[in-house]
Amino acid sequence: MVLKENDVKNEPACTTTSLSNYLWSDAPDENKWADCVHCGMCLEACPTYELTGQEQHSPRGRVHLIQSVAEGKLEVNEQFMDPVNQCLDCRACTTACPADVDVGGLIEEARGQIRQAMPLKGWKGMVSKLFLEELFPYPNRMNSFGGLLKFYQKSGVQNLVRKTRLINIMPSHLVEMEAVMPEIKVPVRKLFKNEEVIKAKGTEKGTVSFLTGCIMDVMFSDINESTINVLTHNGHNVSIPKKQTCCGALHVHAGDRETGRKLAKQNIEAFKDADKVIVNAAGCGCMLKDYPELFREDAEWKEKAEVFAAKVEDVSKYVHDNGYEKPKSEIKTRLTYHDACHLAHGQGIREEPRKILLDIPGVEMVHMPNSDRCCGSAGIYNITNPEMAGAVLERKMENVPDDVDMISMGNPGCMLQMAIGVEKYGRSQQVVHTIQLLDWAYKKDAEKEKSNKGGEK
Amino acid sequence: MPLKLKTKDKHIKKLAEIVNGPKSILYLKEDLLAYDCDGFTIHRHMPKAVVFPKNTEEVAAIVKYCASHNLPFLARGAGTGLSGGAIPINEEVIISLVRMKRLVHVDLENRRAVVEPGFVNLKLTNSISEKGYYYAPDPSSQYCCTIGGNVAENAGGAHCLKYGVTTNHILGLEVVLPNGEIIEISSDGIPDAPGYDLLGLLTGSEGTLGIVTKITVRILKNPEAKQTVLAYFDKVSDGSYAVSDIISAGIVPAALEMMDKIAIEGVEAASFPVGHPKDIAALLLIEVDGIEAGIDEQIKEILEVCKKRNVREVKVAQNEQERARWWANRKTGFGAMGAISPDYLVQDGVIPRSKLPEVLERINQVSEEVGLRIANIFHAGDGNLHPLVLFDSRKPGETEKALKAGTACLKACADVGGSITGEHGVGIEKMEEMRFVFNEEEIQAQTAIREVFNPKNLLNAGKIFPSPGRCVEIKKEMKATSVKSEEKLLEFS
Ligand SMILES: Cc1cc2nc3c(=O)[nH]c(=O)nc-3n(C[C@H](O)[C@H](O)[C@H](O)COP(=O)(O)OP(=O)(O)OC[C@H]3O[C@@H](n4cnc5c(N)ncnc54)[C@H](O)[C@@H]3O)c2cc1C
Ligand code: SF4
Ligand code: SF4
Repeated sequence: MVLKENDVKNEPACTTTSLSNYLWSDAPDENKWADCVHCGMCLEACPTYELTGQEQHSPRGRVHLIQSVAEGKLEVNEQFMDPVNQCLDCRACTTACPADVDVGGLIEEARGQIRQAMPLKGWKGMVSKLFLEELFPYPNRMNSFGGLLKFYQKSGVQNLVRKTRLINIMPSHLVEMEAVMPEIKVPVRKLFKNEEVIKAKGTEKGTVSFLTGCIMDVMFSDINESTINVLTHNGHNVSIPKKQTCCGALHVHAGDRETGRKLAKQNIEAFKDADKVIVNAAGCGCMLKDYPELFREDAEWKEKAEVFAAKVEDVSKYVHDNGYEKPKSEIKTRLTYHDACHLAHGQGIREEPRKILLDIPGVEMVHMPNSDRCCGSAGIYNITNPEMAGAVLERKMENVPDDVDMISMGNPGCMLQMAIGVEKYGRSQQVVHTIQLLDWAYKKDAEKEKSNKGGEK
Repeated sequence: MPLKLKTKDKHIKKLAEIVNGPKSILYLKEDLLAYDCDGFTIHRHMPKAVVFPKNTEEVAAIVKYCASHNLPFLARGAGTGLSGGAIPINEEVIISLVRMKRLVHVDLENRRAVVEPGFVNLKLTNSISEKGYYYAPDPSSQYCCTIGGNVAENAGGAHCLKYGVTTNHILGLEVVLPNGEIIEISSDGIPDAPGYDLLGLLTGSEGTLGIVTKITVRILKNPEAKQTVLAYFDKVSDGSYAVSDIISAGIVPAALEMMDKIAIEGVEAASFPVGHPKDIAALLLIEVDGIEAGIDEQIKEILEVCKKRNVREVKVAQNEQERARWWANRKTGFGAMGAISPDYLVQDGVIPRSKLPEVLERINQVSEEVGLRIANIFHAGDGNLHPLVLFDSRKPGETEKALKAGTACLKACADVGGSITGEHGVGIEKMEEMRFVFNEEEIQAQTAIREVFNPKNLLNAGKIFPSPGRCVEIKKEMKATSVKSEEKLLEFS
């Protein structure tokens, strides 16, 4: 073997000491914080800064602290962990920052270090371990978990728990969540188990692959059905690759980047032959597009991840950009639109869902002030940081106009959180996914057509 | 009830009691580190603690406590200051006013509003715009800087050319003096009250005379009409002459902003690009407003001036979105430098408008001499320059070079009869440069005024005025800064 010049270092490795207190690989990326000029333009965008007024709970402060650990001024300890973990990962700072600093990326990398330095303790650890390591990565277990929830709802145990006030001994935020848990239906992955490709109606435009999402498919399988209906209605064949798994967003948010990478690899493989990967959960979509970040230190997978990421598209944008039939039937409703963080800040999708909604006859849209302010859901943030999540939700609900029937959005996590908000503050709005509403309108069209035909006969 | 704190320090315990709780005070290293600088990052120091009062009484109680125990202290708003005014160089107790952020009262009839100091500048306009009013001073940092900080720095902005800077819009103040006494200045908001102009003195005093806890500001009726022009020039001098010509033609634009080539490279690489051509030497952003009738005339005249000065392309904003896009691009200009450089040092000189071409040329020379790029984004209409020295603090020696370049730019301004700060204040950054514009006696006369308000000099000491002999020391220290602050922090940990 011939050594190239730059293979030979000028000095022995042991003399290059680093001040950094990040001890593991995949540490926060210096190039990301080097972009930050400490101008503070991100401050007011940040929900946790708004609530605390404290610099260490602001994007600028977080970047500064993360940099300080690398410079050896701080250690990875609980005091450092607090501001990093209180971040909602809402990416509002990314929108606000003139220098395009990837604060979210830095936070996730820092969490990776924290998790290795201080494996989670206490009940937060338990919850996060149960969900992240034992449940989400396994579709079958998710289905049985869904089954369990369904049993819980249908069997009367739910009533029993509520009536016997057993509920009073559950932590309050879990109670809040329990109260709004959607009714569990059959996941689409089960429903379409035997179909290679779900055929488009009318003229075919091609085939898209659909990432069903783990929670999405269990708790919100009706939204997945709507997604398939809307896609096929507009001429797209839909395939649901069998080997797909959880996107890994929750793991990465919680600093478990190793599992994140494992899941990412599985998905990249599962969608190898897909032309388009369609997602209806903004959080998942954002994560899929971020896969290359997970493989910063692995050139081979990074390249695969880039190819994969380029194929990912949110359903609202895909449907909007590829032309869709405008429904003819009226859905008479006053609604307001909430910009899910991972749609608006994460993927820059703001106009498309609104246009789709406004194309449904009868829909009247009422402006929501600060519509792109985080609702506090942020993955399992509302389980791990209930206090901050509650305060953020309260702000959000203050902005929801009183006189609307529905709140529409493009992310299941937000839907659950907003439903909690509606319940908690005694509001009456129905929480819907944008695509669901379009599907309902199509269904109405179909019914009308059917009864018309029936009339003709 | 004694509070649970992770410290034995008696001052911190006492301060925590005053602000009523562990969530309103920071005192651990990890938290304090986020307060070691403001928008001026070259100099860094750790505070003793940060306290978050909720009202004037708490501010007064904190100040009284600090004063009677000889603890240095200072006020902080959003920490966007660019001259280091909120940096705790004496290990101060930082009194953060961001939780005092209420809009107390709006009096449309008398066109004024009362705000707490932590209220964010842009929020005022946003709160009253639907009713047809706005708050005129619009620093580019208005998305996040506080009105308290604006008062302290006498902040200006793009639209201050026509409407005046902060001081022209302040009608009354409530201030906690450095001994803890609460005073009100012109609380009824009647302009030009008899006696000395204390409002004028307090405004722009950079947080060295008192802590502002309530502010009565003037609000204005939205102009009937508004038009915005964007003009691209192949030569900086043509752009500069166009600026002078517009003003000499008797037009008073609401705003008249300029960016040079490097600045354009920055904003186009950042988050709010407009699509400016890459190869132009300078652009002007010009806005006129007022009653509907005269606007078209003025725009016509401006277009003509630009053409006479060899403009390559000139256009009028076609709608509000386009206008907003141009302004977002301009107003995020400083931060945008992050997209093309790891650090920047922004200077803030003022010159007579006619000297624009000459001084820009000199800045160009400075850039070549020190070997660092310098971008220019500035309020051309009132001759308020902002050379942005681009550097990388990680490279040994670059911070010192940047400081040197900054000083040389200010010297260039002072040499043509200008001044060393237009709106960012002196802080610690430009203390030594004060000598370019004031002699020793003049400086002493001003420190004597400070002593009347701040006799123990516990409030924000060591800022604005170089004390005899001391300035050299500080400048030396500043040069060693990046190394020094690291040492200090290591010592700390
Ligand atoms: C990207 C960017 C663009 C900028 N553009 C402009 C511009 O166009 N025009 C302009 O004028 N400035 C500009 N600035 C500078 C800065 O935003 C202003 O000086 C602003 O007024 C500072 O407000 P703040 O709330 O951040 O104050 P801070 O930075 O927190 O404090 C500034 C000074 O005011 C004192 N202070 C703060 N609050 C009080 C109070 N309540 N009572 C007494 N003293 C107080 C502090 O002690 C300190 O000395 C810009 C800054 C940035 C980062
Ligand atoms: S991601 Fe959201 S919570 Fe986190 S720093 Fe940015 S704005 Fe704040
Ligand atoms: S993250 Fe962006 S907006 Fe925030 S301080 Fe840094 S450069 Fe400025």
